Amino acid sequence: MNAVGVATGAETTVLEALKAGMSHAMDSDPDVILLGEDVARAGGIFRTSTGLFERFGPQRVIDTPLDEKGIVAHGVGLSLYGLKPIVEIQFSGFIHDAFEHIMFCAARYRWSTGGQYSCPMVIRAPSYGGIKGGFWHSQSVEAYFVHHGGIKILCPSTPEDAYRMMLAAVADPDPVLLVEPVPLYRSLSATFEMDGVPATIGEAAVTREGRDVSVLTYGPIRYQVELAANELAEKSNIDVEVIDLRTLIPYDIETIVQSVKKTGRVVIVHEAPLSMGFGAELAAVVQEKAFGYLHAPIQRVAAPDVPYHFSIGDEHYRPSAKRIRLAIERTMEFEF
Amino acid sequence: MYPVCPLENASANGIRQVIDTEGKLTGDLPDPEIPDDQLIRLYETMVLVRAIDDRGWTLQRSGRVEFWIPHRGLEAVHNAATLAFDAKDWIWMGYRHPGVMLLRGVPLLQLFTQFFGRVGEPLKGRRLPTMMGDGRVNVVPMTTQVGSYIPHACGAAWGAKLKGHDTRFLAIFGDGASSRGEFHSAMNFAGIHKPPVVFICENNGWAISTPQSLQTASLTFAEKGDAYGIRNLRVDGNDPLAVYSVVREARALAPERGATLIEAVTYRMGFHTSSDNPDLYRKPEEVEIWEPWDPLDRMRKYLERRKLWDGNKEEALWTRCKSDISDAVNQAETLDFPHPSSMFDDTFHELTWMLEEQRAQLLADLEEPT
Repeated sequence: MNAVGVATGAETTVLEALKAGMSHAMDSDPDVILLGEDVARAGGIFRTSTGLFERFGPQRVIDTPLDEKGIVAHGVGLSLYGLKPIVEIQFSGFIHDAFEHIMFCAARYRWSTGGQYSCPMVIRAPSYGGIKGGFWHSQSVEAYFVHHGGIKILCPSTPEDAYRMMLAAVADPDPVLLVEPVPLYRSLSATFEMDGVPATIGEAAVTREGRDVSVLTYGPIRYQVELAANELAEKSNIDVEVIDLRTLIPYDIETIVQSVKKTGRVVIVHEAPLSMGFGAELAAVVQEKAFGYLHAPIQRVAAPDVPYHFSIGDEHYRPSAKRIRLAIERTMEFEF
Repeated sequence: MYPVCPLENASANGIRQVIDTEGKLTGDLPDPEIPDDQLIRLYETMVLVRAIDDRGWTLQRSGRVEFWIPHRGLEAVHNAATLAFDAKDWIWMGYRHPGVMLLRGVPLLQLFTQFFGRVGEPLKGRRLPTMMGDGRVNVVPMTTQVGSYIPHACGAAWGAKLKGHDTRFLAIFGDGASSRGEFHSAMNFAGIHKPPVVFICENNGWAISTPQSLQTASLTFAEKGDAYGIRNLRVDGNDPLAVYSVVREARALAPERGATLIEAVTYRMGFHTSSDNPDLYRKPEEVEIWEPWDPLDRMRKYLERRKLWDGNKEEALWTRCKSDISDAVNQAETLDFPHPSSMFDDTFHELTWMLEEQRAQLLADLEEPT
């Protein structure tokens, strides 16, 4: 057990990995502080920061007023002065009030001051559906933040990534939006070395190698993709390559293009709504860079452009393994 | 909006004051006894600021600068407040406050380089004319959205407090900014954490065309501080001595008491911007009631009473200001516009491959014949 109660060497959940990452960062650098609603004595509504208040004290683990705009905007000011704030938004569905301060302040101070000031800060955005949360507690907001640069977007989907991406986000000189996978917080655990080594921002992972079709995805929906891939391997002898993008800004173009050149077929899967989503960018860049290699139109599987439904959303709003499998089959069946 | 200028009955309006329209010490506050050389510097900067406004307006109307934000009548608040702060303190200024830069020692040429959007000033031509700042002198370039920087100043002040540094902070914003959520956020956080910051709400009567009566039902902007447990007061915003006095005191109290919200009651004599037309929404008579309260006139009369100033000095100062401005204009207009590739600089600590590609394509296309 380390000082904040995370078992080392044993199975670590995503939640514990995020806490271990924060704890390591706060140990290494006294300027790292955590602020947000209910993050101190309560340890956050998900208990991501349990023990940090007791360990680092009220000067570094700070409960804020219920004011997302104010939390991020004060984080901007703290970072301008040289602190490294980790700000927690309880659910990414509540982040929109802070949008101006994330995109036009934190992500723009460096540019708009000619490089004189910058805002190295981490904005934690617990995201995605699968917890019967309904509209406001199940949002996938990442596509709102990928449009104009100045901020990096990380989407861990494993405990190890959660740990290393937290470290990378804190160490990065630019603001980072950490899109945390709420449905995996407690349901996924793994054993890895908590050695303080941060993830490399901008590297995708090929989580399943295959020769027939490349599925580009990120976040917890990746596991639905892998279910579909395994099913197809058993039933249809279709060999699916799964790429977990891990970083959306900047995304790993080399790994994507290399895979597409090998398979010639692409399916993009994300949990956020379809239209003008991150998948649209991926489809555009794939045809720009690998047009001659494509054997079929690029398919996208995503949520419809409607709100996340409370009672049936987890099953029917998010792409299911079945819908992903069907899209892959359509891609494989396509003929010119 | 006002039947009489509120500065006439300052004490009845809860407005702190040192001098009257004749520069006499009639107000409720004593003379802050600013050293003579500082007084002269303050007045000279106020005059230079007005001369810059005169020139900026004609440059815009003759098509030489793209946009202008006038500041006539608003020379007292930002200059006196800057003088009341130390050089190591951080300031967030608004877009009608060029004196902040000048009093921090930024050369006039740098200001006009910024107004013309040319290469040679730290913001690299990226910002609208008058939306300035320079980190080398601890003036943080403002985020343009009205009021958005109030919590940034509050957060930075909180950061200094957490780090145990004796750096203090000043944010100047307008009456319109008090309606934004950011104002509420900053006051709320400041009341709780007591960061060493002074907030000045420069109430110039108008947010573009919206008068105070349509901005808030509160009788004053200062009293909004009561709701957040923040020390607050009103001051005559056309009285540089009163502004200096209350800001200096607020700065001194900041480490112990935290934030003060100061409502500086003043008046925007000019247009909102070069794109505005105040004839649509206000009567000339309303502007006229403020003319006897002109901050330059009052300060000059005070200095004359103190035998620190006279007509010869006044004439020489205006001649020098106009000449220095002409030199700066002439020099700034010869400078280059930024190179297109510089748009990409400072977006990230290191450019992403995406931006590198976009830059390369832009530059390659530029090379092609038109």
